[in-house]
Amino acid sequence: MEMIYLIFIIFLGGAVATYLLGKISNILRDFAFLATLIVPAVLFFTEINIGQVVNFSMAGISLQWGITSFGYIFAYIVLGLGVLAGIYAVTAMKGKENLGFFYSNYILSIMAMMGILFSRDLVSFFIFWEIMTWSSYLMVVFSGKDVQKVGIKYFIFSAVGAYAMLMAIVTTYSLTGSMMIDSLVTAYPGFDFSMQLLIPILLLIGFGVKSAMMPLHVWASGSYSHAPMAYTSVFSGALSKMGIYGMIIVMVSLVSQIPEGHWFREVIAWLGGITAVGGTLWAVAQDDAKKLLAYSSVAQLGYIIVGVGVGTPLAMLAALFMVVMHGLFKGTLFMAVGAIEKQTGTSNFTEVTGLIRKMPWTFLASLMSIIALAGIPPLGGFIGKWMLYESLVGSDHYMLVIVIFFSSTAAFLYCYKFLFGFFLGQEEPEWDHVKEAPALMVVPMIILAVGTFIFGAFPGLLLNPIDAGLQELGYASTQGRYWEMSILFNEWGDKVALQPILYAIFAVFLFFLVFVVSKNFKRTRYVTTKDISSSGEIPKEHENLTFSQNFFQPFLRAVEPLMKRQIDPLYTGFGRGMEAVFEFVRRIYTGNGQTYALYAIIFAVILLIFRSRLFGL
Amino acid sequence: MEMLTHILGAIATVILAFVVGMTYGGLVRKITARVQNRLGPPWYQNFIDAYKLYGKTTAIHHGWMQIMGPAFLMVSSVVTLMFIPVLNNGGWFPNLNFEGDLIFLLYLMVFGPLGMALGAGQTGNPNSAIGVTRGLSQMVGFEIPWVMALVALMIQHDTTSITGLMEAQQQSGTWMMFSSPFAFIAAVLAMLGMFRYSPFDIVGAPTELASGPVSENGGKYLFTMMSSGSIFAFVKLTLYVDLFMGGADNLVILLLKTFAIYMIPVLYGLVSPRYRTEQSIRFFWGWPLFFGVLALIYAAIF
Repeated sequence: MEMIYLIFIIFLGGAVATYLLGKISNILRDFAFLATLIVPAVLFFTEINIGQVVNFSMAGISLQWGITSFGYIFAYIVLGLGVLAGIYAVTAMKGKENLGFFYSNYILSIMAMMGILFSRDLVSFFIFWEIMTWSSYLMVVFSGKDVQKVGIKYFIFSAVGAYAMLMAIVTTYSLTGSMMIDSLVTAYPGFDFSMQLLIPILLLIGFGVKSAMMPLHVWASGSYSHAPMAYTSVFSGALSKMGIYGMIIVMVSLVSQIPEGHWFREVIAWLGGITAVGGTLWAVAQDDAKKLLAYSSVAQLGYIIVGVGVGTPLAMLAALFMVVMHGLFKGTLFMAVGAIEKQTGTSNFTEVTGLIRKMPWTFLASLMSIIALAGIPPLGGFIGKWMLYESLVGSDHYMLVIVIFFSSTAAFLYCYKFLFGFFLGQEEPEWDHVKEAPALMVVPMIILAVGTFIFGAFPGLLLNPIDAGLQELGYASTQGRYWEMSILFNEWGDKVALQPILYAIFAVFLFFLVFVVSKNFKRTRYVTTKDISSSGEIPKEHENLTFSQNFFQPFLRAVEPLMKRQIDPLYTGFGRGMEAVFEFVRRIYTGNGQTYALYAIIFAVILLIFRSRLFGL
Repeated sequence: MEMLTHILGAIATVILAFVVGMTYGGLVRKITARVQNRLGPPWYQNFIDAYKLYGKTTAIHHGWMQIMGPAFLMVSSVVTLMFIPVLNNGGWFPNLNFEGDLIFLLYLMVFGPLGMALGAGQTGNPNSAIGVTRGLSQMVGFEIPWVMALVALMIQHDTTSITGLMEAQQQSGTWMMFSSPFAFIAAVLAMLGMFRYSPFDIVGAPTELASGPVSENGGKYLFTMMSSGSIFAFVKLTLYVDLFMGGADNLVILLLKTFAIYMIPVLYGLVSPRYRTEQSIRFFWGWPLFFGVLALIYAAIF
């Protein structure tokens, strides 16, 4: 049997088995869940070759599955993050109700994402896309809170995206008579201009919803923060990247073929830039860590969209590098929030403080991920940011580079808020009982965080498959021109050599750490955070010195005019307007027979009066 | 052998930066005093202070992050120094000049303050955290005109490396403060925030925040922070001289140019009271931003 079928059979069978075993035994259920994630992952990376395809037909439509080297990059995140977050989920979700349902949805999500990457035809692509949407929707409403507000919003936007995509698919079929993605790509330059514009726009609406592109992003903050954190790390880390996957195919394989594509790209790049700024500013304003990370995900996806929109080889390298990096660090951060929520019962910065000595490993993982998120060398986030800036400067996007720079400088604010809010600051006796999260939750976080470090020191490890994927899309090889194992180049040949930087940073850091500590550390003693100088007064035990309310108030005051512009009220207003229309329509049906008779008479009278106009009698 | 000369050169650079930075700090104290009609401390007062701090033993600490804070700060200063050409043509201090470019440098420069911010956070002193939030907010303000100026230079000369920009100035024979005047104005206005003298001294904010992030630090910690601040001042001044004033051929010229640049924020600060944080941010999004946009337009057209 073909290995590709086997992988999907294991996923499907595992999803059913996990659900059913959930009714019998918890241990069997957990075991089946992990096996269903790990076995296909191992099979995929050992047995599946790039370019291998299977053909079969279903209901008279021929379908084709096979992985490309471009899809392979995304498969790393889906399966890697999927497995690690799965291991995390087993411990993190322990004791929750209805876990069989949760696990089987989780498996279905992973399966659907792999299916999207495998699909070479639009039908199976759409089917897997819908499975992904449904399973993630069920996860968003899993907690049962605010289903009306959050779940419906996600559902409506997903539905709009799906219909747009379906329309594009049907249009494609009527134009080309084939459902293959390849035949769409080859036939595309021959379409007339309106179709050349319509198909990418419809597809991009579908992909833009999943990748939370402005103005289709409003579902993201609520959905990311309402799903269980173990799932959100996959939701934000991998699932949102499916939108990017589709977007890249549309932008590179379709839009680039026509001369007007240049303007199309500019619009997308700017939408990405606005997404990045808006997401960042709203992330700074949040007091809840889940919301903060959700908005931060929107912002990070904005950077990726900018890279995709600009579309030079360097920008594409940057975008795909950030895709993987975002999966690593945002996956870790959502897991860290989940761990903190499990141990303390809250994820609000204004409630919990000073966890650094209680949860040191979670802190370490969060610290590394935050450094990567902020894009500070030597961790991996820097590579993507650097390439993005260089590509923008090198391709004459002068204002866009300023916009992106503003956004990523403002990102330092919420990065600090995350670390300070949870881990630093006053240690309150209220949280003295908190212990480090279980090892099975901490280890996946640490593994992912170490990944950001490895790819920061040796970006070539990751740029190699990315380069292969870009060649699949028709780019020339960039190895040696823009990157080597640990050296990066820009379009003008200026370089950043990561090895000397790393050595210099470590040498200086160790030297001064020893310098500060030597002959000093043993003589010093640890004192609590109450034992501080506060203008010559000694604070009492009960005095609250925690600083967490209105954390960035002055900054938010300064950017107030920018944050006044929101799209959400517009959608809400539109929704209200539609409700009013429906209400009016409902009033027509009064339920009174006399009224209906009146309607019939009025209708007949109208027909009589206008019969000459209507029927020419 | 080559390795050894490299390391010796690096150490020499750090010592030079430390001495120059400390001396400038002392001179600024003297100048401030004279403007305020006081006698003021001698120019070498900073060295005395540093020696005293170095000699002190530290009695308490609040945890590992606080101890690592000064080390993080030092990483940022020293490693940035390694990437900035001190003199034209390398001279005695080649270090790592050719291994990184300006955008990398921009990110490396925030490494230290953020590490320091974490250290300050662990002390639990609310003043420290307030200082940090103010500092980060202000950074968002002044980075925008500063980056605009740098991007203008980059696109004008098709390079992002500092050495490349210095070579461009030597070839054309004019300093960039004349060939790209708007970029220079934007960069100088951004520098006012970068050096944190009045009216932008909202981070340390004496008499208001009790010196902000550095409160709770004494002895060797404070010594390390003070040295790091001095080295970082030298780094920033040298960067401005390299980018806008054609670099320097020898140390005397370097000192003259850096001191002249340094006097801009110092003298501006002497006659200004302190801004509130949002006023400070908005300041940078006013005229500095305007000149930044002008610089970009100028660079894109010419």
